[in-house]
Amino acid sequence: MSTLTPNDIEIATRAAENFTRLYYTTYDSPTRVGDLPNYYRANSALTWNGRPFEGVEGVRELVSGIPPTKHEVQSFDCHPIPGSQPPSLLVTVSGIVTHGKGPSGNPPNTPHKAVDGHPRVFSQTFVLAPDPNAPPTKSGEVAKYYITADALRFVG
Amino acid sequence: MSQPAFSSPTPAPGSRAIAASALRRAGLIDQDAKMRDASGKPSRKGAPKQSARPRANPYKPRAIDVVMGKDQQAAKPLTARLAPGDPARAQRLAIKGGARGRRNAISLNGAPVPGRVIDLWKEWVNSRWNPEAKFLNLERIDEDEYLKRHGLTSPTSQDATKAAQVIFKIASQLKPEVETISLAHNGLISGRIMVPLAHYLPDLVNLSLEGNRLGGWKEIDYIASKRGRLQKLRELILKGNPMRELDYKNNRAQQYKSEIARRFPALEMLDGEPVARVGFDAPTASVSTSTRHHTVLKSFAWNMEPSFIAGVDGAIVSNFFVRYFPLFDNQRGALIHAYAPDATFSFSANTGIPPRARIEGIHVSKEYPNQRKLEWAPWLNGGQGGSRNLGRIAGGLQRVTQSLHLGSEQTIRAIVDLPVTRHDVAGSPEKFSVDAFPVRQGERTNLLVTVHGQFSELPSEGIRSFDRSFVLAMAPEGSRAKQNGWEVMILSDQLVVRALSSFDAWRPGPMRVQAGDLLPSAGLQNALLPLPELQRAVMQDLILRTRLNLQFAEDCLKNNDWDLERALANYEQVKATLPGDAYLPPDAFMA
Repeated sequence: MSTLTPNDIEIATRAAENFTRLYYTTYDSPTRVGDLPNYYRANSALTWNGRPFEGVEGVRELVSGIPPTKHEVQSFDCHPIPGSQPPSLLVTVSGIVTHGKGPSGNPPNTPHKAVDGHPRVFSQTFVLAPDPNAPPTKSGEVAKYYITADALRFVG
Repeated sequence: MSQPAFSSPTPAPGSRAIAASALRRAGLIDQDAKMRDASGKPSRKGAPKQSARPRANPYKPRAIDVVMGKDQQAAKPLTARLAPGDPARAQRLAIKGGARGRRNAISLNGAPVPGRVIDLWKEWVNSRWNPEAKFLNLERIDEDEYLKRHGLTSPTSQDATKAAQVIFKIASQLKPEVETISLAHNGLISGRIMVPLAHYLPDLVNLSLEGNRLGGWKEIDYIASKRGRLQKLRELILKGNPMRELDYKNNRAQQYKSEIARRFPALEMLDGEPVARVGFDAPTASVSTSTRHHTVLKSFAWNMEPSFIAGVDGAIVSNFFVRYFPLFDNQRGALIHAYAPDATFSFSANTGIPPRARIEGIHVSKEYPNQRKLEWAPWLNGGQGGSRNLGRIAGGLQRVTQSLHLGSEQTIRAIVDLPVTRHDVAGSPEKFSVDAFPVRQGERTNLLVTVHGQFSELPSEGIRSFDRSFVLAMAPEGSRAKQNGWEVMILSDQLVVRALSSFDAWRPGPMRVQAGDLLPSAGLQNALLPLPELQRAVMQDLILRTRLNLQFAEDCLKNNDWDLERALANYEQVKATLPGDAYLPPDAFMA
């Protein structure tokens, strides 16, 4: 079995930091229907609150069906999954997400204890894998990674 | 009349008095300050103003002069380059010509007056600017005669933060935009001079700090991207700085490279070598995305669904949980066989307060009486390495590495050191939600399992929420897992612990976006099912906003090319004329 070097861990950590920042920026942008699918490939498998979607077209369909979002990542973690080189990465993200206009979009006489409109806690898990078909485009780039699996749930 | 023997030679008394009162009027000296006698100072080179360095092509207009509309020849006196329309300046110039002649500016304590400083810096920055190469060369600042000649405080000196601000602000106004800056060989000990650099030139691409005296990470942190700075920096040179040379000498070159790479997400070259990294197909500004009009919905086209298990017999997943969690609660050591020998494990605490739980007052409700007794410290610092929230580990790589547990033994050692838990997976299934499906990894197919739920933490008996992600492989024949009765083997395990939020979050059914939104009944959703997905989503959105029945909604959309915005506008125009039966009855919507 392949053993993980500190170098692998370090590259994985940096990858997770970059990925998390890029992914949610794209998700929250008005161009997400065009841009978000680029992180996926035809064989990507994803679920959104238990509903399955598949591939690039699936992602496009998914995000066409939800209101605009604003994510705030509160914690994330990443490790290389043993068993392949370059390794696949398991990334978990925990944070809050606001859909639509948030609390300010609620009608004026909304009772104080109503939770609708307020941000939800979300949990999202990714498996990132190296794309065997994409040659690295710049020097130093070890591989081009894409999302091969993605499971999201609202959890609070 | 004889002059008093002790008085020093002065210019004609009258001109000095005029100069002094004019200065006072211009607000440059206060009433009681004595005017400085130029002859009392050591003489300086009094030559008329020239550029500090010979310009490569004296006949080509400088970028900054082109910008200011003043294409000019090399030797034009500085006075003529001052922006017109400032009467105070004009007054100062007039005085200068009259009373002094030898120095370039009337000064207080040897420094140029405030208004002129900026212009002097502008000229200096300009002389160091190469617009074709988009390169601002700020190396060896202190050796530059220009500064001495004009009494300018070098930005590299201790108390000259203002000079650095001025310089970089001027740099930010250069055209075309500055891409490359060299601050090489300036004897910099502190990185603080670069704070205004990061502020005024956030899109900088290449930076050289070669040959300075930067000693540690603190100096680089002034411009490190953790705080949103220099996010586009592609190339950095730190050769010759103690922070690099010492690490190389002590065999820590790899750590040095890692620490730098972590601080600059776009970095491609460090000290002339490529930086090993992983790429993503992130959108770039130059790629124009589809110009097709994308409908913006105000509702969710998709409902919250129950647990999702696909591609594997559901019993495998439930058998795993039924065995794993009781052992996690009561006998963590026995879990060692469930982990692959080279498995990876880490945990992190998300200490954020969940907004909806807070609004509902969960943490202070009678239903959960022990929440106040919970503390985060055991999760943040325990488990043989602490919480691995990569977004919060500000310091060095060491914590990042220590909090990742490699191999089954390290994993168990970490798990055993975590607070004691009580999960109730079997007893209250509605408090848990699972999503599981296959993931290909090279030649193999593994299983991704994510589970969300809650546990009671002992001894306080406060309740935490958690999210756990496993990557499972089928336990191979002869493996220790198989021998110990595990059908699956854990390759990777990540645990996130959070403040309690209600399991209501994953109750199946349609979800509201804003308070007061209508929700479709099951009957209405069934009626919409036959439609193609995106049409269905748009129909549902229109119906929830207007209460129109299916026929009218479909007609409205068809007549408007399925453009939701146009359809809504159309509806607003005609709604006064619509009959009552254009609308759905109340039972089409959830109570």
